[in-house]
Amino acid sequence: MDLLSAALLALLVVGYLVLAGADVGLGMLMPHVARGSTQRRRVVAAIAPYFLASEVWLVAALGVLAGLFPVLEHHAVAELWPVLTFLLAGWLVRDAGLWLRARVDGERWRSACDGAIVAGSWTLATSWGLALAGLLTGGLTMNPFTLLCTVTVIGLFALRGSAFGAERLVGPAACGTDRDAECADVAAQSTRLIARATLGAAVLTAVSALLPDGPEVAGLPALALALLLLAVLAATSGLSGPMLSRHTSAVAIAIPGLLVAVAAPLPWAPVPSTTAVFVWATLVPVVPVMFIGQVWLYRMTRRPADERTFFA
Amino acid sequence: MFEDPLLLARLQFALTAATHYMFVALTLGLAPYILTTQLVATVRGDRSRMTAVRFWGGLYLVNYGMGVLSGLVMELQLALNWSGLHEMFGYTFAAPLALETMTAFFVESTFLGLWIFGWDRMGRWAHLACFAVVTATAYVSAWWVLVSNGFLRNPVGFEMVDGVAHLTDPVALMTNPAATMAFGHIVTGSLLVGALVIAATSAYHLVRRDDGHGVFRRGIRYATLVLCVVPIPVAVFGGVQFELFGQAPPTSGLTYTATEIEAIESAAEDGVLLQAANMTGDAVMMTAWTLMFFLGPALLMAWPLGGLDRWRWFLAPLVFTPFLPYLASVGGWVFRETNRQPWTVVHHLTTADAVTPMSPGTAVASFGFFTLAFAALTVITYWLLVRYARRGPDGGPLAEQRTGEPDDPAASDGSQEPAAPVHTF
Repeated sequence: MDLLSAALLALLVVGYLVLAGADVGLGMLMPHVARGSTQRRRVVAAIAPYFLASEVWLVAALGVLAGLFPVLEHHAVAELWPVLTFLLAGWLVRDAGLWLRARVDGERWRSACDGAIVAGSWTLATSWGLALAGLLTGGLTMNPFTLLCTVTVIGLFALRGSAFGAERLVGPAACGTDRDAECADVAAQSTRLIARATLGAAVLTAVSALLPDGPEVAGLPALALALLLLAVLAATSGLSGPMLSRHTSAVAIAIPGLLVAVAAPLPWAPVPSTTAVFVWATLVPVVPVMFIGQVWLYRMTRRPADERTFFA
Repeated sequence: MFEDPLLLARLQFALTAATHYMFVALTLGLAPYILTTQLVATVRGDRSRMTAVRFWGGLYLVNYGMGVLSGLVMELQLALNWSGLHEMFGYTFAAPLALETMTAFFVESTFLGLWIFGWDRMGRWAHLACFAVVTATAYVSAWWVLVSNGFLRNPVGFEMVDGVAHLTDPVALMTNPAATMAFGHIVTGSLLVGALVIAATSAYHLVRRDDGHGVFRRGIRYATLVLCVVPIPVAVFGGVQFELFGQAPPTSGLTYTATEIEAIESAAEDGVLLQAANMTGDAVMMTAWTLMFFLGPALLMAWPLGGLDRWRWFLAPLVFTPFLPYLASVGGWVFRETNRQPWTVVHHLTTADAVTPMSPGTAVASFGFFTLAFAALTVITYWLLVRYARRGPDGGPLAEQRTGEPDDPAASDGSQEPAAPVHTF
């Protein structure tokens, strides 16, 4: 039961990183891939159906953390209080931008909301980088590893966003005039560049991990995951265009989550059996509904929305 | 006074919770009405009723957005600022919250996404089913949150193992009277919030004789019925809970002995601010309830005389009535939560012990940012709600697009492809 509960937590965190990585990453890249109000609207229209269904994974992970792993939660809050507050602030600003963008018809209003989306997305990615470094080193310390780890995580989010954008920003000629490049193409071209930069940052992170004062992570699983990350990034930087980057970026961004799950020095307490049975017995009947909703939403919105929706 | 992290954390949580609840109450109050309207519209193929669904649904979404934002902040803030509570009562207090996030919010948000993006992409019955799931999970969500909240008031069903509460009786947790009665109170109270928002919006348009789709004629009749039926159950569910006040919870004595409890409670009996907040909350709630209690019969008497559609002098003041249920809701929560002090978990954990040890600087920074952000977002959301309510069914965020409409925001963006709806009502 303990293992199952831990697996649930890991699944929710990894699910969040893979799914939300796409819309957070695209939010970060908005100034780069979108020129002009039409293209920016298109980017928000690509993000909007997903952020509702992806941030719930993090909310669920936080719930499981509080309800089944209070010792771990206490550790995370004690070590990462400023980072998590920063993350919450970024989350609030980003979501406020997304919810409010289409509510007022004015160029300045939309620019402000786009600014909130971009700033919030960057804040989220940065916070996750700091949180990862903090969890791996067992506390937030200011050293080269923390810095490089943060840069790598930001790169992973950006890579995921550009792969997502290459796929979802494809649209009719309405997107962009002749002078501007099609935003999906810009995103697609970025995948290679971002993958190379992230690969460089990841290598440096791995090297800095060997310095004293680095992470308290050792063992074969951590090494294997680190090598997998480098291999996946290397593969993406060599590919021409987006091609498999949708899958490779998903694998790449899942690795930080898995790394924390298998290798980080985390305090651990067995889940009391009554609580575990109570939570699992209530949860299991709902799992099919959760699954259907997610799959349905992702399938239904595969086609980019051209018509006006609630968000853009 | 504002250098005390405990006071800041408490104030911050009170503000977050009160703001969150104002949006939650309207969500819970509107959802059943929208669902019923969409059901009738789907069964009958009634275009004017679908216009009503799009109109009230637009308000629902604007309101829901701020509900989610404040809910996210509330959940994280609970973890960040109240780690003492989680350390001791994680397995009991936070387990229902864990279930809320997965069985309620996860499903609710996903299916709301399906509903928003599914207007033109799925069959009308599937679309209706999505909103049915949204409505059901909104109530499931309220249920789990109140199981957690009721536990603070009346902690039941656990044993203490090395200073950590271990759940022994999930059934006692779920049937806790402090939770079930509060759920009844919240559900009925939210229906009043929804009804008066509907009544006010309807009255605004009926005064202007602006009701081409019959949306507001039906709205004010629904509100009349709710206002006649619901105030009594609200008072009953609320009144039953007074019996719990001052009663020792069944688990009293597991953490502190009776003498220690008495010492803690007598040491804390000097909070003037707290006393004032408690009494104001109670008075506001009771006054607002009394006014709402008389509103229902007044509306009912005007109905057969045709006053609900015609009497401008009668309808005009109704526009301001939503203040009543909102004041009652916030007053009620202030009353309930201040009544529990000095305890966070009655007879087990004091509020001072529940708070995360924070430096004054970080506490001030966090309090300042989130209070300002919340104030701005709340003002913007209510401004938008009022604006959309006044615009009526043709100007809502979910209103059907008509190409070539001059005030169509998409048109100014240059993307003028007309939507190709699968079903057109």
